[in-house]
Amino acid sequence: MRILVVEDEQKTGNYIKQGLTEAGFLVTLSSNGLDGHHHAMTESFDLIILDVMLPDVDGWKILRSLREAGKQTSVLFLTARDSITDRVKGLELGADDYLIKPFVFVELLARVRNLLRRGSLSNVSEQVKIADLLVDIPSRKVSRAGKRVSLSQKEFLLLELFIRRQGEVLPRSLIASEVWDMNFDSDTNVIDVAVRRLRAKIDDDHDHKLIHTIRGMGYKFEDEIEADEQL
Amino acid sequence: MNSYKLSTLSLTLRLMIFAGSAIGLSLIISVVLVQESVKNHFAEQDFGELLVVTGSVERWLDSIDGNMRLAQDALSNAVSGHHGVYFRVDADSGEQLFLSQGGDFLSQLNHVDAAKSTNKTQLKNWQLDDGFYRGLATEVSVDGQSYRVIAAMDMSFHKQFLDKFTIKMWLMMLAIGVITIGATWLGIYQGYRPLKMLSKQIRNIQTHQLDERLNLDILPKELRNLAISFNEMLQHLEGDFERLSNFSADIAHELRTPLTNIITQTQVGLAQTRSLNEYQELLYSNLEEQERLAKMVSEMLWLAQSDNNLIKPVFNVIDLNSEVNELFEFFDALATEHQINLVLIGEKISMHADRALLRRAFSNLLSNAIRHTPPGSTIQVVISQREKKCVEIDFINPGKPISSHHLSRVFDRFYQVDKSRSSDSQGAGLGLAITKAIIDTHGGQITVASDSVHTVFTVRMPV
Repeated sequence: MRILVVEDEQKTGNYIKQGLTEAGFLVTLSSNGLDGHHHAMTESFDLIILDVMLPDVDGWKILRSLREAGKQTSVLFLTARDSITDRVKGLELGADDYLIKPFVFVELLARVRNLLRRGSLSNVSEQVKIADLLVDIPSRKVSRAGKRVSLSQKEFLLLELFIRRQGEVLPRSLIASEVWDMNFDSDTNVIDVAVRRLRAKIDDDHDHKLIHTIRGMGYKFEDEIEADEQL
Repeated sequence: MNSYKLSTLSLTLRLMIFAGSAIGLSLIISVVLVQESVKNHFAEQDFGELLVVTGSVERWLDSIDGNMRLAQDALSNAVSGHHGVYFRVDADSGEQLFLSQGGDFLSQLNHVDAAKSTNKTQLKNWQLDDGFYRGLATEVSVDGQSYRVIAAMDMSFHKQFLDKFTIKMWLMMLAIGVITIGATWLGIYQGYRPLKMLSKQIRNIQTHQLDERLNLDILPKELRNLAISFNEMLQHLEGDFERLSNFSADIAHELRTPLTNIITQTQVGLAQTRSLNEYQELLYSNLEEQERLAKMVSEMLWLAQSDNNLIKPVFNVIDLNSEVNELFEFFDALATEHQINLVLIGEKISMHADRALLRRAFSNLLSNAIRHTPPGSTIQVVISQREKKCVEIDFINPGKPISSHHLSRVFDRFYQVDKSRSSDSQGAGLGLAITKAIIDTHGGQITVASDSVHTVFTVRMPV
């Protein structure tokens, strides 16, 4: 997957490039709007991460040229502070998502993966089998090692989120936003408690764990044995 | 513009203009009145005398039976006893029949209209070459023969007296005016002395002595209200200033703790070569502190924006019940773990509010309640419509009472009832301050009450 990052701030640009490269993407970094505009118009990318505050050709212009040229590349723009007008403008111009600066890298990664998956969302089949965990999404039935597990509605939504984004590190803020529609940092460890309770039902009785805590970042759902085998 | 100019005019000058014109005007009026009445008095006196003279001339004319030669001597006697009064008698034809001695000036008069009856309004003033005269012309009919009697008197004396009197009068009034205006000015000046004292007292108050108050005892009644208002303002300022100072001190303290942790950990970590695991551990530990710092800074930034009215709520119609239910779902796991029941009581009420902000505010209240509720008890959220345009939401949790000393400060930034709690991971103590700021931007109010059983946070919001 090829990603173009247009970001004039060198340090930010470099760590975005490093982080995304290490996450397995092919990253092109442009440190000014002119270069970025050229790359965006002449090459083909799966996603463009666009800082809108650029000294020469600003992000809006790149976005506009891109859409006028009929390119439907997904665009995620980075905007300073929480200026609502900026957000509205970006989405009206045809951007797919935005992130407010300063952001945490895990958040960016989660959104990037989300955007790249968009086209293939329906690929998650109705019946999912991960290791010995069986999930029937339409009927909300879950069983592990043949034993029925009963989940509350929100617990099921949490599990579904984990399954859809297998192998990704999900920050707590993203979990709160996707499952409960709470878009702020809570003072409490609500997410930790909720994940712990889901774990108690799914993982605790089994040696083969599926939900993993990634310290300092969030949670990851993965069949590690399978993942290791693939390596 | 004019009213602005008037309002900036010196108070002393303004009062002096008003008082001065009032005093001046009344003095002028009294001078004119006195002058008029003196003049009138003289005129009346003169009229009486002229009437007497005219009367005796008439009687004499009657007694001489038209024999003018006989009359000469008699007429001369007619005015004896009336010093300074002269007269002239004309025949109907206009021919001068008699002129009293010393009355030469009367011959200078030619066309004098005579009236049949005598009346004060017929008094005439003549200014002739040698002086001022006042006279009365009367038509007298004796034995079918008409005469015209003109009696007159020299007025120069009166005039001189009047002129002198007028000058004296004006001088006297001038003196009175100067004295009264001076006294007024002195009074006003004295009257403003308390103002000067007040301004001196105010000037002496510095930021480090906001606990000073103006001394009301030395002020006149009129200024006492001003001083009371000023003292109240000082009190607000003192409170805010103290809060601000505490806030800065708290920021420094709250930032220093994680920073010191990071620095110490890193220094210790770098003191010798360690295993990869230990380095990772160090970075994780640093990351946790840094996240705390970042969260605190972004919350402080949010509060600063809210202080400067930069947080603009986006209003939508919101169903309060379902909002609270969704929050309950969010906190469900946490509450269950603490063995706490969440109960919602209330009517279905919708209102205009910013959903995201309101969730944040209520979430802080709920997490605060969960934190302070003992296991096995119930937290109630009660929604009720108090008045037509006001909805009340109570967050009621059982637990240790908060003393009134703390109660008034729970919404202060960084304020924590239990100081020992500050080191745990439950945030820096900005949650309730943020909640209050959100409620404020919605035009609502938040209060807290606590008795031996419950603590109640009450939010009142316009629907």
